[in-house]
Amino acid sequence: MLEAWLEFGRGPLFRFSFALMVFGLLRILILTAISMWEAYDRNPDKILPWKDLTVRTFGWLIPLGTLWRRRPIYSLISVLFHIGMLLVPPFLAAHILLWRGATGFGWPALPQAAADWLTVLVIVTAICLLAGRLFHKAARSLSRRQDYMWPLLIMIPFLTGYVCANIETAPGTYQWMMLLHVWSANLIMMMLPFTKIAHCVLLPLSQYVTGLAWKFPLGAGQRVVETLGYGDRPTWVERPRLATDDVAAPTEEA
Amino acid sequence: MLTAEELEKSLEIPKKPSVVERQKLPVRYHVEDFDVDDRPRRFLQAFAAILKHTNYRLALDHYIRVSSKCSRCTAQCQIYEATEAPEDVPCYRSELLLSVYRRHFTISGILRGRILGDPGLTDEKIQEMADSYYNCTACRRCHFECPMGIDHALVTHLARYILSEIGIAPRALVVSTREQLIGKTGNTSAIPVPALLDSLEFLTDDMEEEKGVTIPFPIDQEGADYLFIAPVSDFMMEADTLMGIAAVFRATGDKWTVGTKYYDGINYGLFYSDHIMEEVLGKIRREADRLKTPKILIGECGHASRTAKYFYPTFCGAEAAQPVINILEYTHRAWKEGRIKLDPNVITEKVTYHDPCNLARPGWVVEQPRELTKAFCKNYVEMTPTRRDNICCGGGGGTVSIDEIRPYRTGIGGKVKAEQIRATGAKYCIAPCANCKKQLRELMEDQNVDCEIVGLHDLLYKAIIFDDAEKGSE
Repeated sequence: MLEAWLEFGRGPLFRFSFALMVFGLLRILILTAISMWEAYDRNPDKILPWKDLTVRTFGWLIPLGTLWRRRPIYSLISVLFHIGMLLVPPFLAAHILLWRGATGFGWPALPQAAADWLTVLVIVTAICLLAGRLFHKAARSLSRRQDYMWPLLIMIPFLTGYVCANIETAPGTYQWMMLLHVWSANLIMMMLPFTKIAHCVLLPLSQYVTGLAWKFPLGAGQRVVETLGYGDRPTWVERPRLATDDVAAPTEEA
Repeated sequence: MLTAEELEKSLEIPKKPSVVERQKLPVRYHVEDFDVDDRPRRFLQAFAAILKHTNYRLALDHYIRVSSKCSRCTAQCQIYEATEAPEDVPCYRSELLLSVYRRHFTISGILRGRILGDPGLTDEKIQEMADSYYNCTACRRCHFECPMGIDHALVTHLARYILSEIGIAPRALVVSTREQLIGKTGNTSAIPVPALLDSLEFLTDDMEEEKGVTIPFPIDQEGADYLFIAPVSDFMMEADTLMGIAAVFRATGDKWTVGTKYYDGINYGLFYSDHIMEEVLGKIRREADRLKTPKILIGECGHASRTAKYFYPTFCGAEAAQPVINILEYTHRAWKEGRIKLDPNVITEKVTYHDPCNLARPGWVVEQPRELTKAFCKNYVEMTPTRRDNICCGGGGGTVSIDEIRPYRTGIGGKVKAEQIRATGAKYCIAPCANCKKQLRELMEDQNVDCEIVGLHDLLYKAIIFDDAEKGSE
């Protein structure tokens, strides 16, 4: 019975989650690209600080210079977390083996020892990030459910994967661990495009999006006023639909 | 962090309770009376109209997808540093508007709202936004620290734009803008042309006495190289800055002119309305066209320079628009070309330089004023942090023009800045921006820092040498 669930997780469910992840990410990438083009096309003024935007984009994609300026410890933890998370799943020998079995092609794998250490790194840094969120006053006040959920959720496949690969357990336990591993990984892939993890594909566009959004379309202000039905009497010319004729009352200044 | 007592003093609402009650708006700044009924609906209508005609949707969609609530921005926000209140985390501030967007303008948000029976935007939330978005100085430091690239100042700008469309905008800004756009004088300080001419003539007389040469302010010179647009308040408040600029032109011999049909660089549109920004820039364009000046030169002013530099092409003809330069760029180039002579022995006191957000943050005017200052101020020190990372004066985003919130600006807003300037031990702090000058002077006074705030051209005027000066006049 357990075996069947595991097979389903590795087979059809994996194919579904993987496709959902790929197409989900593609969807938001394409939607963003279309919106960016529309914004660019909307205005005759095409002047944008391309170089500055590109420098900033790479400054965050490869955060060697940017991260250390503030909160260096937190930054280091976050970078290590990302490195481990990006490297281990696609370059683990066992994963590539599975992939090769199904599709017939593969790619070079990480040495097992490196993969193990990186896995431990992800688990430790995920705990640190979670703790940081819990004990940093500002972060705690901002956090939503998904912000706590993600480090926990990401820890599950890494923890179970590590156990399966390195620790000898009873066969029953191994199967449970593997089931948890496969299903949690599928869940991650399925949720990824619909949560903040979408930044994995959107981050390279962030600076350009902001740059484009600062381009205000010609005549938009007037069109907004017309849409709102203020006609030629926008708020700053005459006060439309005034409640009273009182000019604001005198002040009580010290 | 400030003490509880200081916080209370800064946060006090300097208005009659009856006004707050009538307008249902517990904010520190004054607002002209406006319909208070049905505000959430009208807010959403304005939001929808703005989204329809602008590019903001692109940014909002992106921000709600990537926002990770990591709170890195707290390390950069001087307001948060002063209050340490969760409401002052830049990301929290942005979330106020982003959550409205998510709830009312995305399919998933609308569905969720229906299913969970969430009533959506409330009047209380509008009140919170009206307060919060005018606590932010829109300095954009947090943008440079956000790993996700969220520009909280853009969200602040948009939120204020929406609020202004339902009548919520600081009276100080609205009244000035009304004078500028439909008033008799056509400028924010309501300075009529005769007063302007009088004051310029007076400055010329003064300079002749001090420098021994005639330094004119050319008026309405058709075909001059540069149309000079200063923040209009300079004509009344910053005589030294203007004299320095006139002296530079006297030395270089380039043709420049002040136009009498329009001479105000101030553009509060940057602070609360794209529509106003466009209208004000249109006035500059009409004046530049009238006088047939090929270039536009903006005086010592951060927001005037930024609106002109980055938005003049947008609203006034794209590539065909006249190029915009800032006076610091001009003077720096003239000095590099050897067209200005400066006496390095006049200013001996310790001098530091404050980067106005709107000049330095885009990386536009950063090194030029430094090279220039070092050329004649031997005793120059940097602030920490500095350049693109410099701390805002605390009166950014138009808040400096709101006199009634001075305790907030000099208490919470400028606390970090005051300590930064104090630490340099400088006698002069150069702040080449009319907004920063006013704010920093009030700040130095309220925080008891012994430092004189000047414009770059104020000091330069003292040091500039004219070879043809009449002897004996010194």
